[in-house]
Amino acid sequence: MPIRSSLSIAIRALRRNRLQTALTVGGMTVGVAAVLAMIAIGTGAEAAIQDQIRAAGMNLIVVTAGNYKVKATDDFGGGAVEPSAAIRHLSDVVLAAVKRCVTGAIAFMTPTLLAHPEDDPMEKHDHPTARQRLGDNEAGLGSASTLTSADAEAIRQIRGVQYVAEGLHQNVHVRTTANKRWFTRLHGTDVQLPLIRRAWTVRSGRFFSAREQSRAEQVVVLGSIAAERIFGDLNPVGGDVIIWNQTFRVVGVVTTTSWMVAPAPGDDQFDAVYMPFTTVHRLLNLAKLNDITITAASTGDVSRVMNEVTKLLRVRHRIADEKPDDFTVTTQARQALAKGGMRPDVARAVVGNVAGLEKVTLEQLGRTLDRATRTMTALLAGIAAVSLLVGGIGIMNIMLLSVTERTREIGIRRAVGARSRDVRSQFVLEAVALSVAGGVVGIVVGLVAANALSQYLRWSTTISSGAVLLAVGVAAAVGVFFGWYPARQAARLDPIQSLRYE
Amino acid sequence: MTTSTGALIAAHDITKTYAMEGAPVHALRGVTLDIHRGEFVAVVGPSGSGKSTFMHILGCLDRPTTGRYLLDGRDVSHLSDDELSAIRNRQVGFVFQGFNLLARTSAVENVELPLLYAHDSRISAGERRRRAMRALAAVGLEDRAQHHPNQLSGGQQQRVAIARALLNDPSMLFADEPTGNLDSRTSIEVMEIFQRLKQERGITIVLITHEPQVAEYGSRIIGFKDGRVVSDQPNTSHRAAAAELLAASVPAGDI
Repeated sequence: MPIRSSLSIAIRALRRNRLQTALTVGGMTVGVAAVLAMIAIGTGAEAAIQDQIRAAGMNLIVVTAGNYKVKATDDFGGGAVEPSAAIRHLSDVVLAAVKRCVTGAIAFMTPTLLAHPEDDPMEKHDHPTARQRLGDNEAGLGSASTLTSADAEAIRQIRGVQYVAEGLHQNVHVRTTANKRWFTRLHGTDVQLPLIRRAWTVRSGRFFSAREQSRAEQVVVLGSIAAERIFGDLNPVGGDVIIWNQTFRVVGVVTTTSWMVAPAPGDDQFDAVYMPFTTVHRLLNLAKLNDITITAASTGDVSRVMNEVTKLLRVRHRIADEKPDDFTVTTQARQALAKGGMRPDVARAVVGNVAGLEKVTLEQLGRTLDRATRTMTALLAGIAAVSLLVGGIGIMNIMLLSVTERTREIGIRRAVGARSRDVRSQFVLEAVALSVAGGVVGIVVGLVAANALSQYLRWSTTISSGAVLLAVGVAAAVGVFFGWYPARQAARLDPIQSLRYE
Repeated sequence: MTTSTGALIAAHDITKTYAMEGAPVHALRGVTLDIHRGEFVAVVGPSGSGKSTFMHILGCLDRPTTGRYLLDGRDVSHLSDDELSAIRNRQVGFVFQGFNLLARTSAVENVELPLLYAHDSRISAGERRRRAMRALAAVGLEDRAQHHPNQLSGGQQQRVAIARALLNDPSMLFADEPTGNLDSRTSIEVMEIFQRLKQERGITIVLITHEPQVAEYGSRIIGFKDGRVVSDQPNTSHRAAAAELLAASVPAGDI
């Protein structure tokens, strides 16, 4: 018998018992919805962690001039700032290490570059000259003058390094010939920066060229917000802007393709002006860099590259073994972890309990987190599976009852020519129809529940089409599994006995 | 006794033994019988005489313990369950005492049932419905097609059951106490349908009953007792249900 007519027989039989059918479907619905919601929460947490570790610069390393981890004392103030909130979570081990460093650092340090007082890495950088020169309100992280373009060049030679961009950051007044003014950030950088900022796109014109960089030409690329503020609706490309009383040609405008980042006034990337760092060096008569941004070719290689960079810079800066670094190497994983989107308990557990977070390699961290969330997902799904099991037992119960109740019906069907396998497939299909109907409703309920969770509890939830297919598959499997036994009972009934059944 | 090859039903020394707890029950103790095409056989006997068991075996609902049963020249005594199902579907129709209609299912859907199990022919839903309606019309119930069994009288339910039995144009109709739950007038109506089917379509009918007056509508009466045939003779009374119905309706029309 074709499956379609078997199915229509099954559905007709179910329709005759609406309340019973509805209740059984309800039980199944709860089970499937619970499983789906739990999987959504689990995979959501996993995805949130992965997003934040991997996408948010898993392979990004930033070397900043100065060492903010060294505590501020009267002996040197400029480069040291309050430890960030995240640092407070570090375990005692790390704090002890930091203290050791501090003790070592209190001793006099030999400056590496003696050209200018400001170039002393451990010198205070808040004297009037520095403030004027840097244009910073507070001379803080990155204003120490320990990094040079030669350092960047040396880092480029390290194996496993993908891109390197020198960084010099200033606050500037940008003026047009029409005397329109905008106060914004200036980034002196390298031609490779757009390769590092993968979400960037050049909206019009182009990024500055290697040739313009090597000749330190007076060209700028505007961030989209800066471009709008300075030029309005006009196309800035080909126009001129005036910075430091010098005329610069605008060669391009950059913006982002990422839907997660909306360029806004005041942000660091798009309310900004970019020019070759060589130009900044030439015009301001500088040799230092504020920071160097590095990407590792492979994310698994980040820790090694980080170590290599540290080693190289210590050698280049002639830092004695017991002395602290005069630079800071960071990755973005830590900041990303502390940000929202992850379930608070997971984030707290990670930031609070992993001893020496900075020392844990990103791969280890990623693996640990994956394992933790997977365990949690398995636990949640396990609990939900129990409700699915209960739903399945409900189906089996109803089907067994139904076989007894409908013994006469089975006899009638057999008398008019139904084979025992027709009876079996009818009952199996009834069970499957019950469970799949429950499954479909359960998917809807589960989707709504997952949405509500992310809406009201701000937990990130992910429902993949795979999870939905799995839910349908499991529902159907439950139907077959729990429907099989009653169906077999039905198929085995003797036609004559069942016809006589009262 | 011999079995001739031309018979539609040729049963030879059929026995049926049920293995119950304790002593085995011998429902049939060797029945040899031929039934020819177009006969209207009434089987009578007290309850427990084995007449129902005999009908179940003839109708392929059951298999004999020993003996040979040729249906239309084909030995069906050792066919598989599936093959017996196919025979029930195509060659046999059943009518029962308790009507045996599916509850909460309309008359026309009940009638369609055998077509759902017509294994080797694919029949569209529309064709199924058309044929079911035709069968209902044949028993005069086309206007009750959408009624459920509980909305029909006993006689109407039995007519629906007959329509269902006839849907696949079977060559045989087996009726197990079809009038047991009906009043006498409705019983005559059902007998009228049986006689008409025999006359018009040449359908072979095996009617099981314990009422001698119902048996008189048949063309041959077989008596069963203790699992054996005790009498087998042509019926000479020739009761005609149609004439009786006509006669009964005349006084009613006069009032």
